[in-house]
Amino acid sequence: MTRDEMEQGKKLKKRRYYDYTLLFLVLFLVCFGLVMVYSVSYYNANKYYNDPTLFLRKQAIFAVVGTAMMIVISKIDYRIYISKLPFLPVKPIVLLYIVCFGLQLYLVLFGQSTGGSQRWIELGSFGKFQPSEITKICVLLCTSYLVKLAPRRLDNLRGFLRIFLIMSPLVALVAWENFSTALVTGVILVSICFVASRKKGYYLWGLLLLVVAAVCLIIFFPYRIERFQVWMNIETHPKGYQILQGLYAIASGGLFGKGLGQGIQKLGYIPEAHNDMIFSVICEELGMIGAFAVLFLFVLMLWRIFLVAINAQDLFGSLIATGVMAQIAVQVLINVAVVTNTIPSTGIPLPFISYGGSSLLVLMMELGIVLGVSNRIEGER
Amino acid sequence: MRHFLSYQKRGLLLIIAMLVAGVFVIAGRLAYFMIFVTDRYAQRAQELHERERSIKAERGLIYDRNGVVLADNKPVCTISVIHNQIKEPEEVIAKLSEILELPEETVRKRVEKYSSIERIRSNVPKETADKIRDLGLDGVMVDEDYKRFYPYGSLASKVLGFTGSDNQGIIGLEVEYDSFLQGTPGTILTLTTAHGLELENAAENRVEPINGNHLHTSLDIVIQQYAEQAAERVYTAKNANRVSVIVMNPQNGEIYAMVNVPEFDLNEPYTLTEAVLNGAAAEELTKAQTNDLRNTMWRNPCISDTYEPGSSFKVITATAALEEGAVRLTDTFYCPGYKIVEDRTIRCHKIGGHGSEDFKLGIMNSCNPVFMEIGARVGAERFLYYFEKLGLRSRTGVDLPGEANSIVHKLENIKAVELATMSFGQSFQISPLQLMRAASAVVNGGTLITPHFGVSVENAEGVTIKTLSYKETDGAVSPETSQTMKELLEAVVAEGTGKRAYVAGFHIGGKTATSEKLPRRSGRYIASFLGFAPASDPQVMVLVMIDEPEGIYYGGTIAAPVAGEILGNILPYLGINPDYSEQELKDYKLGSISVPDFVGKTEKEAKTVFESFSEGELYIVGEGEVVTEQFPVPGEMVNENSDIILYMGAAEKIAE
Repeated sequence: MTRDEMEQGKKLKKRRYYDYTLLFLVLFLVCFGLVMVYSVSYYNANKYYNDPTLFLRKQAIFAVVGTAMMIVISKIDYRIYISKLPFLPVKPIVLLYIVCFGLQLYLVLFGQSTGGSQRWIELGSFGKFQPSEITKICVLLCTSYLVKLAPRRLDNLRGFLRIFLIMSPLVALVAWENFSTALVTGVILVSICFVASRKKGYYLWGLLLLVVAAVCLIIFFPYRIERFQVWMNIETHPKGYQILQGLYAIASGGLFGKGLGQGIQKLGYIPEAHNDMIFSVICEELGMIGAFAVLFLFVLMLWRIFLVAINAQDLFGSLIATGVMAQIAVQVLINVAVVTNTIPSTGIPLPFISYGGSSLLVLMMELGIVLGVSNRIEGER
Repeated sequence: MRHFLSYQKRGLLLIIAMLVAGVFVIAGRLAYFMIFVTDRYAQRAQELHERERSIKAERGLIYDRNGVVLADNKPVCTISVIHNQIKEPEEVIAKLSEILELPEETVRKRVEKYSSIERIRSNVPKETADKIRDLGLDGVMVDEDYKRFYPYGSLASKVLGFTGSDNQGIIGLEVEYDSFLQGTPGTILTLTTAHGLELENAAENRVEPINGNHLHTSLDIVIQQYAEQAAERVYTAKNANRVSVIVMNPQNGEIYAMVNVPEFDLNEPYTLTEAVLNGAAAEELTKAQTNDLRNTMWRNPCISDTYEPGSSFKVITATAALEEGAVRLTDTFYCPGYKIVEDRTIRCHKIGGHGSEDFKLGIMNSCNPVFMEIGARVGAERFLYYFEKLGLRSRTGVDLPGEANSIVHKLENIKAVELATMSFGQSFQISPLQLMRAASAVVNGGTLITPHFGVSVENAEGVTIKTLSYKETDGAVSPETSQTMKELLEAVVAEGTGKRAYVAGFHIGGKTATSEKLPRRSGRYIASFLGFAPASDPQVMVLVMIDEPEGIYYGGTIAAPVAGEILGNILPYLGINPDYSEQELKDYKLGSISVPDFVGKTEKEAKTVFESFSEGELYIVGEGEVVTEQFPVPGEMVNENSDIILYMGAAEKIAE
């Protein structure tokens, strides 16, 4: 190696890639989310807590902390998670799995105090912490790791099942308390495997089997599936109230909307409008143009993550990016589909925009990891 | 790209393709809602956000003929709750039931009912409402409103009537003229939150209410008060069941006063009066009993009840006989104290009989055999014809709800006995007002008028929009007969059975009556007197009815003086000056006192002056610090112990 070459190598190392576009998109969506959370929640916050900016402030704190964590994580080499560290007896990823499993088990065993299933662990003044969000990161990293260990095995169903069996205790625990999160977790798992496998035929069969099972369920036990009934009779079913009010909001938006802050449906008509229903208020206030713009931002973000995935330095990195992309995509699609009554309702928040600290924090941490993956891409310029 | 193989890329692209397809699907759904069904859904959302709030129209006032307000409005409040805004339901329930004096369950039911707004109580006095407002309870609304208010309380209660909580008339003129008085409520269309709160800055769609029209009536507060006081006195003195007085202008049917003692307080129309309870305890009554008693209390017997008129009906029999030419004033009759009709002996009220008498004396004596005789001469068919002609077989058409019609035998059922009893006012029933109407036709020259209260309707701005007119039929009685009857009836008061109604200087005509109530011989009577003045050109007609008096029950003894007192008081008030004969001037020391000047004096000062001037009655009308007008005017020469009417008003008014 000549001196020049060495110099060049150093320069190359310093010129490592960092996806600022993705960073900007994330920050933009988070800020837009804060504006919308304030617009949607000020009325109820004032009415019930006599403090119009209450939800905004809480969410803003998470946004700031989330941004800091995202940037810090993006500077950490993601390969550390799967390497043996001198001061730890096990790899960090194994530790994460154990911790998540423990938290989820704790919830299932001791979280029944408030009647139905419990989703949070109380953290006193820090608010509530939702372990299933962390579990998403765990599933994301573990699956990517397992696939990376032996990608060839995924060519048949047995290889997939092996990974699935390892991950299933965790997913099952999540499903115990929250079907929606389990669904998202499952999608992360399956999409990572799907991308990594060379032969994808069995996924088609699997999908077909799932569809048949679902159709059978609906045909033979329609009354059992109340959500399905609500979905079919959204205008008459008493439990369709929230969705119907959301539809009213969407429809009243028209092409250009009523203007930011001018919506009426959020004034008590849509229950919990700042959570999963926030997109309907975006539609009411910003109209179809605004709603499409938001969707376009998400598509742009997914495209950037796709680019990270196909340019990643190693399989592990690209699978992480794939998983994150799948998660955001499925959350956006399901959320908007629920809000527009395209599918039966299920509680999935709109990424970066819906009110909710754990969800935002975890999403930003995941984006931090993706940015970290992008940071390892060696620039060719 | 070393680690990322083509099949992996293919997988990712597949996912991206699915994602894009998904985005297109939901974008399509969005476009569907926001372009294609936006109108339908947005319309529904709009309906959800809009609240229509009605603005009450102020009900029109009812005035007497002098412009005195008889039915007014005063501000009251409506208390409502908005379910979604209530934070402490228990406190709201406790406080509201305590302050509004409502049972707790009633309030609880309304507070817990899931509706956007629920009315707890209307017609709450302003002070009570202010108390509730001061508590500052969340979800409790206080709306200002109007309530009907009757400044004179029980005055003409059964005529004026009252209104319900929704400002709709319940009885009396309030019902009859409801459509004029009610007005049209306005509306405010506002946008509200789901909790029923109106949004500020939201464009309001406001339709102003149209206030109700005012009704001007022919009632005269002064005459009504005179009549009421006179009725009260005899009601108490005779411990009567009821005393009714009607004062009407026989020329055009305008009713100046209609008294039914005991009256009830129009401001508390649901509270049973002592008189109606008759010793029973109000709280022990069943709901049905309470309702029955209320209806009794509200009933206007002058128009809703019928009775056997008795001797006062002889006015009609005499008229029929004169019209038929069946009798001349000079015809002579003989009364042995009874008359045998077919197999029945029908007695005269004078057991010993009136002996030989001419027709004029027969009326003056109110002799039954004379009327049986002339009734028989007229015959059943012609007699019924005069019933018909004088409006006794149809309702008078008075502008009050609930008028009763007469009950008269069919022609084929009237045999000699029936005809004989009908001749002196028995065996059929008419309402007091029907009698007034028929008698008016007899003395006014033969015009059958429609008794009425309503004169004109003016809108809220004070512009007359409708002058009410009533049916008048000429030729019910010939002018000659009318003239003869006036002379005969004046003689009844001047020298006959009605002499206790005599008032010096005024030519009063009239007829007494004592009707035995059914069943006979139960000792229950209605003593009555029908009078009018001046006899030559009647301007006012009075009917006094005393129902079930104790002790002496003859109409000529107890009802005639009441009528005389009323007439003596109101004739000067109506501008009919006394016309004394030489004899009267000598007997009564008339016109010897000059009326002092009361104008500008306070009520107290006026009373002091009046006490030194007269032992008559002092009537004070209206409200205000000082006397603005008086009647009779200062300096007028009046009789001893004359009455004075003073109109009170604001001091500034005197200058005008």
